[in-house]
Amino acid sequence: MNGRHLAIALAVAALAAPFVLEGNRFLAFVFGIVMINLLWASGMNLLYGFVGLMPLMFAGIAGIAAYAMVALTREAGWSFWLATPVAAVGAAFVGVLLGLPSLRLKGFYFTLCSLVIQSVLTLAFTFFPRFTNGDTGLNQIEPPAWGGVQLAGVWFDATLSVVAVVGVLLAAWIVQTRLGQRFIAIREDDVLAEVMGIDVVRNRIIAFFIVSLYAAVGGCFYASYVGFISPRSFDVLTSLGIWLCVAFGGRGTIIGPIIGTVILAPIPYLLQELQAFKDVLSGVLIIVVTLVMPAGIHGEIMRRRSLRRAAAPPTVSAAEAVSSNGGAR
Amino acid sequence: MTDATLLVLASTLSTGLILGAIFALVAAGVTIVYGCVWLPNASNGQFFLLAALAAWSLAGAGWSSAAAIIGVLFMGIALSLVIEWVLVRRLYDVPERNVAYFVVTLGLTQIMSGIFAMSWGLWSDQFTLPPLVDGITMIGPFPMTNNRIVVLAIALGVLAVLFAALRYHPYGRALRAVFQNREAAALRGVNVRAIYRLSFLLGSSIIFLGGMLFALAYSFDLTVAWTMSVTAFAIMIVGGPGSVLGALVVGMVFGFTQAIVSIFASPTAATFSYLLAMLAMLLFRPSGLFNR
Repeated sequence: MNGRHLAIALAVAALAAPFVLEGNRFLAFVFGIVMINLLWASGMNLLYGFVGLMPLMFAGIAGIAAYAMVALTREAGWSFWLATPVAAVGAAFVGVLLGLPSLRLKGFYFTLCSLVIQSVLTLAFTFFPRFTNGDTGLNQIEPPAWGGVQLAGVWFDATLSVVAVVGVLLAAWIVQTRLGQRFIAIREDDVLAEVMGIDVVRNRIIAFFIVSLYAAVGGCFYASYVGFISPRSFDVLTSLGIWLCVAFGGRGTIIGPIIGTVILAPIPYLLQELQAFKDVLSGVLIIVVTLVMPAGIHGEIMRRRSLRRAAAPPTVSAAEAVSSNGGAR
Repeated sequence: MTDATLLVLASTLSTGLILGAIFALVAAGVTIVYGCVWLPNASNGQFFLLAALAAWSLAGAGWSSAAAIIGVLFMGIALSLVIEWVLVRRLYDVPERNVAYFVVTLGLTQIMSGIFAMSWGLWSDQFTLPPLVDGITMIGPFPMTNNRIVVLAIALGVLAVLFAALRYHPYGRALRAVFQNREAAALRGVNVRAIYRLSFLLGSSIIFLGGMLFALAYSFDLTVAWTMSVTAFAIMIVGGPGSVLGALVVGMVFGFTQAIVSIFASPTAATFSYLLAMLAMLLFRPSGLFNR
């Protein structure tokens, strides 16, 4: 039950934080960004952590949804709350279409393919400026309205908290359904999974659709929260940044991406003056995560804990168990 | 045909040859390392740019271009040794190491581009190297600078030596043996780890050389790193990962494509077409045109 208590505590903290940070607009803004990244990271974790594919076109899909949402609200006059689901589902279908052929690939070839698709999308955002305004980007994107009043300040932050908490809970739920179990089976050994009657490609497509939805919803909220998007908002560095949150925190767990996002997502905003230094830092982290701690911070903590448990003489733990039992009586 | 169109034709031809030779060189470096070590070097464009920038700095400090090139090559070998020592050798025994290597080199790309933006990027936004040799030669009615002729000769010469060395030199044969079957090569007494190190050094040095040759022939800016990475990867995938012949042929084709596209569209259009070619290849024939 420890996990459930932790989940409730984290959810309460996420929902309360906007009101605590209300006095400091900058910190509250950074918090909102962290919440969007949390949604993204928990989505990417479903594919990277549970199915075992590294989707570097993640940000591109978020970009498609964000541009579509802006076009629908500006040119068709739709409300944000209608445009976002439509844009998200549309972008998720586009994502599946783009990813469909690559789903037969795995490992390096899938990752390279997703990187190529991401680069094509970035170039497309730049060179087809009809909806994207090219490199200049779109600014003054209206925040969503709720009952005729535009969401602003603390209420927008709180909305993002709700979205992030729902996203994380949904991911936690998916993971323990039969679908999630099939994902893990595919990650562990796709050939064996196929032999056991799991349709690997079909399940990868489902995972891809869900993950694209996460990317797309996050993209729509990002556009309306920041108020400005350009091709650079959704380039490969964004994808890598989200991937790093997942890998650094600990892939394949629910808490891992949360740890990673809370630590890493604020850094670009806190180091705003030092953009180039931020690139160096994240490059170093990418290398460290890959070479030194592939299980991430969470995995490292777990490993240390189990090492300590193994190192301690068994009589101590037995004595502890007895004493705690005695305490309970 | 008028004189003007002939001139355009001739300049396209020479640009295509030079670009093609440099593309082929860099892609050969990337593909050797991938075929042997299984390391897809996503930061090849940064290596390429680093060599060009370092040569620019040395030339700025009063070195002649030839001295700068030799100096940078030695520095490049030293840097590759360090990278091999610190990063690359950690994964030699991991079976599915190409994904991990790919991610590591993506990280390296970010580190290097951050460093470039903080240093050379602040000093200038357009870089040129002084020519190796002065003067102009008339090839028929068409003028071509001696400098570009020398660049082309060096690029083609290195490619020829590389080709011959891989085929006939004992190290080249050992390298190709590891390409084809690591276990069998080890059983026949090939020191696999030494061959890994050698091919990483060789591949990286070729990429460094390619960067400097490009800098000799054309002026460049920091964005060339990204373009080169995309191009080299596209050549490697289309030509067949690990195939030096594929890198040569496809590199030449891409060089001419770039030269022709640049006449009537921005070079980015060429990059776009490489990306699409790579995508099509990945989806329909991941082993490439010239698979081994």
